[in-house]
Amino acid sequence: MLKIENLHTTVGGNEILKGLSLDVPAGEVHAIMGPNGSGKSTLSYTIAGRDGYEATDGAVMLEGANILGLAPDARAAKGLFLSFQHPMEIPGVQTMTFIRTALNAQRRARGEADMSAADFIRLIREKAKLVGLDDAKLKRPFNVGFSGGEKKRMEMLQMAIFEPRFAIMDETDSGLDIDALKMVGEVVNALRGPGRGFLVITHYQRLLHYIKPDRVHVLADGRIVKSGAAGLAAELEKSGYEQFIEAA
Amino acid sequence: MNEALFNKPTPFEVDLQAAFAARAKATGVQTAAFERFAKQGFPNRRIEGWKWSDFHGALRGLSPANDAEAHADIVTSDFAALNPLEFRIINGRIELPQGEAPEGLRYGVVEPVAAIPELERHAIATLNIAMTRKALGIEVGESVPPDRPILIRHINTNAASAFTQTLMRVSVNARARLIETYEGEGSGLYSHLFHMVVRDGAQFHRTVVHETGTDQIVNTVCAAKVDADAAFKQASLSTGSRLARHETLVHLWASAGSAEINSMALLCDDRHSDFTTQVVHKAPHCRTHQIHKGVARDHGRNVFQGKFEVEREAQKTDAKMTANALLLSDMAEANHKPELEIYADDVECAHGSTCGALDEDALFYLRQRGLDEAVARALLVEAFVGEVIDGMDDDRLGDVFRRKVADWLVYE
Repeated sequence: MLKIENLHTTVGGNEILKGLSLDVPAGEVHAIMGPNGSGKSTLSYTIAGRDGYEATDGAVMLEGANILGLAPDARAAKGLFLSFQHPMEIPGVQTMTFIRTALNAQRRARGEADMSAADFIRLIREKAKLVGLDDAKLKRPFNVGFSGGEKKRMEMLQMAIFEPRFAIMDETDSGLDIDALKMVGEVVNALRGPGRGFLVITHYQRLLHYIKPDRVHVLADGRIVKSGAAGLAAELEKSGYEQFIEAA
Repeated sequence: MNEALFNKPTPFEVDLQAAFAARAKATGVQTAAFERFAKQGFPNRRIEGWKWSDFHGALRGLSPANDAEAHADIVTSDFAALNPLEFRIINGRIELPQGEAPEGLRYGVVEPVAAIPELERHAIATLNIAMTRKALGIEVGESVPPDRPILIRHINTNAASAFTQTLMRVSVNARARLIETYEGEGSGLYSHLFHMVVRDGAQFHRTVVHETGTDQIVNTVCAAKVDADAAFKQASLSTGSRLARHETLVHLWASAGSAEINSMALLCDDRHSDFTTQVVHKAPHCRTHQIHKGVARDHGRNVFQGKFEVEREAQKTDAKMTANALLLSDMAEANHKPELEIYADDVECAHGSTCGALDEDALFYLRQRGLDEAVARALLVEAFVGEVIDGMDDDRLGDVFRRKVADWLVYE
């Protein structure tokens, strides 16, 4: 599904990822944990294709094809979704209009027909209920004046609507209360299944109570330094990251 | 007339003097106005209020021939769907609408204004008073239904210069909607002076669209006197031209008058747009809100000069000004000058001005969601100017503005 081989990324001339390799097979959820500054967000931006995050070596294969040369929107059309750690506010752009434009842009890029306005409204209402967002919020400018928690719900709403092949969740749990964490778990668990993969980036174990990962990886100093089963997260919670920082 | 009126005249000013001297029917007031203008000449960049809009330099090589053959193929107005009462001023010649005037509305070709005291030191307005032969006069009475707007199309199609005036009065408690469009591929100087009064309790909405060819040099001055409980509301869109300066001067004369003056400039190539405004608060409890949005790419030049003057008597004034510029290329320019001059002590006045490029974070966010770069950029530009459109109270006008923004973005 998503296979990263020996990825090196520089940002502003500094090498942040230093030969990172990772394999998330279809149908699995993997978690990446790691201390501040280890390269977690750099990894998500590199996979998504953000300008300024230059992959100098290695490959990111999504369903067998290297996506590193593709524009961010072409990666999105291939089914890559990034739930942002800090979602943007976009004043002047109505939420519903934006999500529909994005959905249809992805569909068109895949050679599919646009979704009709009526079908879309039905879909967004249903998913808004799932993530606990008021209908009134959908008519507002995108994320403007929303709380941190509401912005994360908006990320989950989009993930539920786009039904991506592969989703990266960059610290989706930060700033969320228990109810919202539970909601995130529900959205992921509903989408989880054969043919779809997740990479859940987090500092803490608590989100992993709601999303049971198939594998947990520790990222330190730009490399995966340890991988293990779900139990590794609990171990880390107890022992901290220090051993890995020293090892790296 | 004195032979050497100008101090070091440009060829344009020499021709202008000859054209004025050849006129048979100039009044004494007009001759005096011309002499006052000649003492100053066209404003140049050394004059503070004109440093970003150098008419002296731009007009240097032009010919002011005033009576060139008027010929124009007139296309249907973008506002035709609103069923407006359509006036045309084609190469300076006024054409009134056919048929009977609606009840309560009076209009006609009238004598031009002889003096506007607050514009005495405005060189081009002074020249306009000297040069204009006939003015368009419009009076809106209370019984005029407000749903049918008045449209004035200023169409210039040739290299000649033209000087025109509109004199308008909106009666007590009346409501009037005016749309003005500046059109045509002309390449001369077009000067329009718009003198108006909004009487007690009246509401006046003005929509201005400047979409001329590249070469036109335009200066319009709208001088409005707003009485008690009256409202002056204006939304403008300009795609600029060689030099395009639209000025608005509002006097809030009596208690509880209000002004809303919003504008957007969308500039490409080396087009220039200048929105210069001044609102004078002369009485208490008046309110002014102003938003300017300027978008420039290539070598586009966006100029905004906004000034609020709050006089000593104008207590409880509420005045806010915001000017934002978006630069889409390294060579594009934004020149903003927001000014507050406050002599009253119990007021709420604020101004803010920003200038920047498209937000890279937002751009990446949109692209991650599947929008290609052009669509993502267009969406952000539409969002940037959206506040001006959202403030328009007639959806049909807002839709025309939205379409014009979309048309402009096609070439982005």
